[in-house]
Amino acid sequence: MSNLLRTFENEVQLAALAFMGLVYALRLVWIFRFRVGRERTVAVGREGAGTGYSLMNIAMPWAMESTRTHPGRYLEFVVLHLGIAAAIAASFIIPYGPGLFETAWVRGIFRAFIAAAGLAGLARLARRLTNPVLREISSPDDYFSLVFLIVWLAAGVLALPDRPAAGEGPLLAFFGLTAFLLVYVPFSKIGHYLYYPFSRIYLGRTLGHRGAWPPAAAKSAGAGPARKGAA
Amino acid sequence: MSRRTKSPSGVIDAPLDVAAQAKAREEGRPSVRDGRLKTYEPGANVGRFLELLGRRVSRPLAVSLTACVHCGRCAESCHYFLARPDDPTMTPVWKADQIRKIFKRHVDWTGRVAPWWAKAGTPDGDEDLNRLKNVVFGACSACRRCTFNCPMGVDTALLVRFTRGLLTELGIVPEGVFNVSRDQWETGNQMAVTETDFLETIEWMRDDLRAELGPGADIPVDRPDCDILYTINPREIKFDPRSIAHAARIFHAAGASWTLPKWGWDQTNFGLFSGDDALGAYVSRNLYEAAERLRARRIVISECGHGYRSTRWEGYTWSGYDQKLPTESIVAVLRRYLEEGRIVVDPGRNLEPVTFHDSCNIARSGDLVEEPRQVLRRVCADFREMHPNRQENFCCTGGGGLLAMAEYRPLRLEAGKVKAEQLKATEAALVCTMCHNCIDGLGDVIKHYHLPMRVVQVLELVSRALVLPAGS
Amino acid sequence: MPIIESEGLRIEVNEEGFLAHPEEWTEEMAKVLAKAEEGLDELTPEHWAVVRFIRGYYAEKSLAPMVRKMCQATGFPLMKIYDLFPSGPAKGACKVAGLPKPDGCV
Ligand code: HEM
Ligand code: SF4
Ligand code: SF4
Repeated sequence: MSNLLRTFENEVQLAALAFMGLVYALRLVWIFRFRVGRERTVAVGREGAGTGYSLMNIAMPWAMESTRTHPGRYLEFVVLHLGIAAAIAASFIIPYGPGLFETAWVRGIFRAFIAAAGLAGLARLARRLTNPVLREISSPDDYFSLVFLIVWLAAGVLALPDRPAAGEGPLLAFFGLTAFLLVYVPFSKIGHYLYYPFSRIYLGRTLGHRGAWPPAAAKSAGAGPARKGAA
Repeated sequence: MSRRTKSPSGVIDAPLDVAAQAKAREEGRPSVRDGRLKTYEPGANVGRFLELLGRRVSRPLAVSLTACVHCGRCAESCHYFLARPDDPTMTPVWKADQIRKIFKRHVDWTGRVAPWWAKAGTPDGDEDLNRLKNVVFGACSACRRCTFNCPMGVDTALLVRFTRGLLTELGIVPEGVFNVSRDQWETGNQMAVTETDFLETIEWMRDDLRAELGPGADIPVDRPDCDILYTINPREIKFDPRSIAHAARIFHAAGASWTLPKWGWDQTNFGLFSGDDALGAYVSRNLYEAAERLRARRIVISECGHGYRSTRWEGYTWSGYDQKLPTESIVAVLRRYLEEGRIVVDPGRNLEPVTFHDSCNIARSGDLVEEPRQVLRRVCADFREMHPNRQENFCCTGGGGLLAMAEYRPLRLEAGKVKAEQLKATEAALVCTMCHNCIDGLGDVIKHYHLPMRVVQVLELVSRALVLPAGS
Repeated sequence: MPIIESEGLRIEVNEEGFLAHPEEWTEEMAKVLAKAEEGLDELTPEHWAVVRFIRGYYAEKSLAPMVRKMCQATGFPLMKIYDLFPSGPAKGACKVAGLPKPDGCV
C-alpha cells in the first residue's frame, strides 16, 4: 500500500472528522443560543411518550399518511440511508478492521447495500429533475448533495474489493470523497441529521404534553372510561 | 389527480389594503394611538422585519427552519395543493421556504456566505413583504396537517404563524386581520360586543329558558364560587345565541353550578391567527383573571377550535400565567355528564345520519379526539366516521382566521375540494363539529359544492336528545 | 370583484357575496341577493320586516345589529330568523339587507 493511500485512509480522515466535530460543536452552540419557552400548562399526556413517538416516527411507515400511502418512496429512503450507513462504516472498517472484509460475503453485502443506495439516489435525482414541484423547491445545494452522494456511493462500490494491489485508484477516490463529505456536510442540507433530534424532540414534547401524541387508538364505543382528570 | 391548472393562484398579488388602518389612525382609535396595534408606514419595513426575525426566532422555530430536506413529502398533505396539483406554490414546503430563505440569508451560515447555493434571499422592499403576507395569510389555513406528515418533524404551520406575527408588527396584514385585532384589543372581544349587548342577550336567552323550564332555570352572570366558569365565542352573543341556550338547558338538567363572567368571557383569540403574542396574552389573561376574580373552580370553553387551543394551551404561555385551574372544553364536560348519568339522552331524537368533522386546532394542536365521538355515539342513532379523520382530518377551509379575510375566499373555496369529497362520501345529512369557525367554513364548502348537508354542533345534538326529568 | 346580473341589474358584490357598495342598496337588489345568495324566490312581508329593520339600524349606526335587536324589533323568536334566512342573521339577513360583511369569524 502506498504512503499516499495510507495517509488518505488515516490522517486525512481523522483531520476531516476533527473538523466536522468542531463545526458540529459550534453548530450546537448556535442552536442552543436560541431561547425556548417554558411550558405553563398542566399536562394531559406524557412528554416522554410524545417525544419517543416523535423520534421513532421515522421507523413507523404506517404512522404518517405521507409514508403509508407511498410505501415505495419510504423504501427508497430506507435503502438510501442504509447504504449511506454501510459506506460510512466501510470507511472505518477498511483502515481499522480490515479483517472483516476478508470474508467475501460480508464484502458482498456491503457492496450490495451501497449499490442499492446509489440506485435509490439516482431515482431521487431523476424525480428532483423532472417533477416540476420538486424542481421549484430545489436549491443548488439539494442537487449537488444528491449528485455528490451518488458519486461517493459509486466510489464505495468500486473501492470495496479492498485490494490496493489491484490498483489504488478506487480506494483513493473513495477516501478522498469521504473526507470531502465530512467537511462539506455541516454546511449543506445533508446536515439534517444533526437537526433531526431537535425538531423531533420539540414537536414531540409539545404534542406529548397535550396528549396528542402518541395518538389515542380508535377504541372505545359509548362514553368509555374516564381518561382525563375527572371532576 | 387529473385536473391541470398550470397558472399559479392569483392570491400572491393581492394588494395591501390599508384603508381601514388609515381610518383608524384618523379617528385616533385607542389601540392604534397607544401602539398596541401597528399600522403600515411605507419605508424601512424590510430592515425592521429582519431585526424582528433575528430577535424573535426561538429554538423550535430555528430547527424547523434548518431541518427541511426539500423532499416534498408534505405536498400531498395540504388541501391547497390537492386542489391545485400543478402549482408548486401551494406546497407547504414552498410556503415555508419564503420565510426560510430570509432566515438562511440573515441568520443561518451557508446562506450568508453563498446565498444562491442555498436559495437564500432578502425581501426586495415592501412589495415582497406584501407577497409574503399573501402566502402566509392567503394560501395557508395553519391547519398543521403538513407538520404531521413531515418525516423531519418540520413544523410548517408554526413557521407560518411566526411569519404572520412579524408582518402584523409592520401593519402588513389583510384588512380583516386588522379590523378584528382592533376590536379585540379595544373591547376585549372579537366582535365589539358591548357589555349592555352582552347582558341583554343573556337576559333574552334566560327569559326563553324560563319560559321552557320554569323559574328555577338560569343563565348566571358573574356569580362567584361556581364550579364552572363558562366562556364563549362572541359570535354566540351577536348572531347565534342558540348555543348558549343549549348549554344552559344541559347545565340545568345536570344541576351544574356555573356562571358566565361579565368581562373576560371571550374565549376566542385573534392573536393565534395574526401571530401577535401580545394580543394573545391580553385576551387569555382577561379570562384567567375572570376565573380568579369569581373564584371559579374550573374554566370551561364553549365549542370553538382556535378558542380551545388558545385558551387551553397557548394562552398560558403567551400571558406568562401558570395554569392553576382545570381548563377544558364543554365537550369533555358533556362526556362526563353522560358517563356519570347526570344527564339522560334519547338518541332516537337524532335520527338523521351524522358525521363528525375534527377541528384542526383541537385534533392536531390539542387533545380532544375521542371525547366528541363518545358523546355523539350516545346522542345520535346513526353516527358515521368521515375519512380520513381525527388527526388526519382535512381543514374546513376556514382555519387560520381565513373567514375574516374575504380577499382570499376564491382560493379557499377551491382548496375545499378535498373537504367536499370527504363530506360527500359520508352520505350524512348532518356534519357535526365542535368549532364555530368550522361551522362557517363547512357551511361555505357545502354551499359552494352543492352538498345536501347541514352543519350542527355537539351542544345542539345533545340538547335535542336531552330527556328532561318530568316536572321541570 | 364578482358581479351578479339579474332582472336587468348589475350588482357588484365582494368575494363573499356581500354588496360591494352598501350605500347603493335598493329593494330590487335585495330581491336579487335573496335569490342568488339565499335561494329565496320571494321575499315575504316577514322577510321585509327583518330587512328594513337591519337597513334602518345600519343607516343610523353603521353597524350590523345583534340578532337580539332583530328579534326585538320584529317580534320574531330566534328560530324564526333562521327559518326566514337559512344562512342565519349575519350571512343571510344582513347580506340581503345590503350590509358589508361583519368582522370576525362569521
Ligand atoms: C439520524 C440520521 C438521519 C435521518 C433521521 C435522516 C432522515 C432523512 C429523511 C427523513 C429524508 C427525507 C427522505 C424522503 O424524502 O423520504 C432524508 C433525505 C436525505 N438524507 Fe438523510 N437522514 C439521516 C442521515 C443522513 C446521512 C448521514 C446522510 C448522508 C451522509 C443523509 C443524506 C440524505 C440525503 C442526501 C437526502 C436527500 C435525498 C433527496 O434529495 O431526495 N442522511 N434524510
Ligand atoms: S416533508 Fe418536511 S422535510 Fe420534506 S419538504 Fe416538507 S417540510 Fe421539508
Ligand atoms: S398548515 Fe395546512 S394549509 Fe398550511 S401549508 Fe400546512 S397543510 Fe397546507
